[in-house]
Amino acid sequence: MSGIHGRYLRIDLSRGTSEHVAIPESVSRRLLGGVGLGTWLLLRESTPGFDPLSAEAPLVFAFSPLVGTGLTTSAKFAVVAKSPLTGFVCDALASSHFAIAGKRMGIDAIVVKGACETPSEWVRGVLRPTASWGRSAAETTSVLGGEGRVAAIGVAGEQLVRFATISADGRHAGRGGLGAVMGAKRLKAIVVAGELETPIADRTALEARADRLRARAAGPETAKYRELGTVGNLLAFDRVGALPTRNFQTSHFEGAEKLAAERWRGERAHRRAACAHCTIGCEQRYASRPGGAADVRIEYESQFALGPLVGVADPDAVLASSARCDALGLDTISAGATLAFSMECGERGWLEGAPAFGDDLLPWLDRIATRDGLGDRLAEGSLRLAREIGDEAVGIAPQVKGLEMPGYEPRALQTMALGLAVSSRGADHNRSSAYEADFSEEVDRMHGDARSVAAAVAAEERAAILDSLVLCKFVRGAMGDLFEESAAILSDLTGEAWSADGVETVAKRIVDLRRLGNEREGWQPADDSLPKRFLEEPIPGGPAVGARLPAERLRDLIRSYYLERGYDESGRISSDRRTAFESELGLDLTGPASGGADDA
Amino acid sequence: MSVARAGIVLCGGRSSRMGRAKAWLPWFDGRTLIEHVVERIRPAVDEVLVVTSVALDLPALDARVVRDREPERGPLAGLRDGLAATSAAHAFVTATDAPFLTTEYVDGMLSRRAACAPVEEGHVQVLSAVYPGEGAAVAERLLEEGRGRPRDLLEALDYEALDANDPALASAPWKGFNTPDAYLDAVRGEDPDARCRIEFLGRAALASKSPNLEVPVGTLGDVLAQAARACDLDLDLVEGEQVARGHLVSLGGRDLVRDLSLPVGPDERISVLDAQAGG
Ligand code: SF4
Repeated sequence: MSGIHGRYLRIDLSRGTSEHVAIPESVSRRLLGGVGLGTWLLLRESTPGFDPLSAEAPLVFAFSPLVGTGLTTSAKFAVVAKSPLTGFVCDALASSHFAIAGKRMGIDAIVVKGACETPSEWVRGVLRPTASWGRSAAETTSVLGGEGRVAAIGVAGEQLVRFATISADGRHAGRGGLGAVMGAKRLKAIVVAGELETPIADRTALEARADRLRARAAGPETAKYRELGTVGNLLAFDRVGALPTRNFQTSHFEGAEKLAAERWRGERAHRRAACAHCTIGCEQRYASRPGGAADVRIEYESQFALGPLVGVADPDAVLASSARCDALGLDTISAGATLAFSMECGERGWLEGAPAFGDDLLPWLDRIATRDGLGDRLAEGSLRLAREIGDEAVGIAPQVKGLEMPGYEPRALQTMALGLAVSSRGADHNRSSAYEADFSEEVDRMHGDARSVAAAVAAEERAAILDSLVLCKFVRGAMGDLFEESAAILSDLTGEAWSADGVETVAKRIVDLRRLGNEREGWQPADDSLPKRFLEEPIPGGPAVGARLPAERLRDLIRSYYLERGYDESGRISSDRRTAFESELGLDLTGPASGGADDA
Repeated sequence: MSVARAGIVLCGGRSSRMGRAKAWLPWFDGRTLIEHVVERIRPAVDEVLVVTSVALDLPALDARVVRDREPERGPLAGLRDGLAATSAAHAFVTATDAPFLTTEYVDGMLSRRAACAPVEEGHVQVLSAVYPGEGAAVAERLLEEGRGRPRDLLEALDYEALDANDPALASAPWKGFNTPDAYLDAVRGEDPDARCRIEFLGRAALASKSPNLEVPVGTLGDVLAQAARACDLDLDLVEGEQVARGHLVSLGGRDLVRDLSLPVGPDERISVLDAQAGG
């Protein structure tokens, strides 16, 4: 099968060795690359119930069939590990030349196991002590960049902050705390370089297809991303009552106007940039203060989490916080949401010394990354902190499965509410993208029903394919039928006949495999839900005033989702199906917690 | 607590001919129709009940919200649920689209202390009528018998028919509307200069000379056309009968729509958004 190398590199940090291990072609066919292949490697290289911060925990960097083909937005890799925040399967994507250089080593993935005795860096096969410990990922990259393409952690990863990121080319595998997994291995950086081209079965056909996609990706379907980027969401979300504000207490922020990118355009320097091999270029950089150079990369998720969610309306402060998170290696969503949660706890008198809404975040971000004082408890994430405080606090901790919630108010976006509740990664907007339906006439966004279920299932499957090919979510609008177009691309690339149905089957398989992985690691039905606040309190004001998501409605949506996916009423996959997965994929998916109920 | 007089507002769901939930239609001074109607009734009664299906959230009201258990069975089932939920001897019952209701009218109707309804050219105004509290049981029986109209209930209660030509009823306070045009006519009748507010966001904001405008009320198509002209919009927002792909319009921050025939009401804030919400 062309498009892949059929092997991965297993690095054992404890022994200082590495070896190539074959990947059966049947696995690549069944799961492609990215999050699909990465999940398989994670489950194959680990034993059930392992500690994500232990030496035995695998840390997977998975490339994909499309890496190296030149298709627009395809230079991405997935980092897959067990999340120290959720305890479940976690994958995070980043775009960068790291993906291209890694695959040029003649491998489809890197699996890092073991741990170094002292802080180290792995540079093209050599494990050596690092001089970069204590530095940012960007500084580390500038030191090591001459030797290849770098993926590195910041101080937060070194300090095992449970929402630390891994960075490459200034982009971040952001969610789930995978930087802490790398930090626990005392591995500061991985540097890759290679010369091997990706074998392509029909290069001429694929290049023609790539040209057409590039042309379409310059059209109206991606115009919003090009012209404004994701920061264009903030004011729109505010106006429809979907902008999480002050720890999700409400969904409309009085300072939204000041934070709106539409307004920034006249006020501060701005420039666009793009990930490696991307012709869309949604990245927006703004001057951190009027009169300065456009040097801060900002995305909607960072802007909402470090702005409205924590009650900050000063754009200079939001941009500075975003830059500080990047420098420290903190996931902006989890950092902002954990701080917002602590602020509400402080207001309620539950947490002494907590920051207040509207406070300057910079000292707090430093305290979290260095685990200084209260920062040490905040570095554990909102759910662990809430559990320390008590049950009431758990009800207002903005998280699902321990992962902090992105900037979509679930009461006002109920297809997304379902997506957030059932997502294997936890509260997550990228593995579900169910918000797409809420921002259309397809569903009644304030009253989730059967249409929301169908939309959430379809969105998850589209995401599973994009994340395993890998292509950027933002090119999706420029593709006609995603499954058909993916099948055509895969046929040209691999030299094998792919059909739209075959691609859809892969998508479903990936969604199921992640659920099976979670079951193996102890998932329970109660994990698929939303915090109590969303199920008990209506939105108190703003455009979506009165919007409610009663617990029984969410339960009905979840039950219908399970039915649609062929799971049992409690969301488990039947033991027959699990056995079929095990034999198809050569995995042991029976975990300590999944051997009971569904076998009875 | 036992009360003498109640007001019951029956709130249907999304009206198919109107294209929007009537309860949320704007009715001047930043209030929705349901808020306005409840305000008009409130001084004349001891309590107001708003009967609504689960599929409709409501703004905060000085009223008790009662769930319509069987919205699919029409207004008599809602009327039954409203009457069953109050201990009032008599209840004035109205639909949501009754902006011309007056407190005096409701008071006058309830002062009769009997089932009564205006009759206008042979049409009994069943949703601007008084029903006694015991009407709940009668309604239940009628529904079981398959007689599902409020008029059947009034007849079973031996109601008093009030002549709509009576000068006291001359303003026809029960007048409502079922279509965007009828609603907009009612709005313009109240204020010929009624205006709405339009805000361009995202790409539309970048393409317009002034992103915030006020234009006369109208259908969404009219409003967009006027706003685009007024601010020299360098972007095509319309595609046939719909808002162009890639864009969406939020009406009052709630409904996200593309249908250009929908009405935009007085003081209503509409926002033109980019449809791609990924982040
Ligand atoms: S569209 Fe944006 S996020 Fe996607 S690959 Fe391009 S620059 Fe990166």
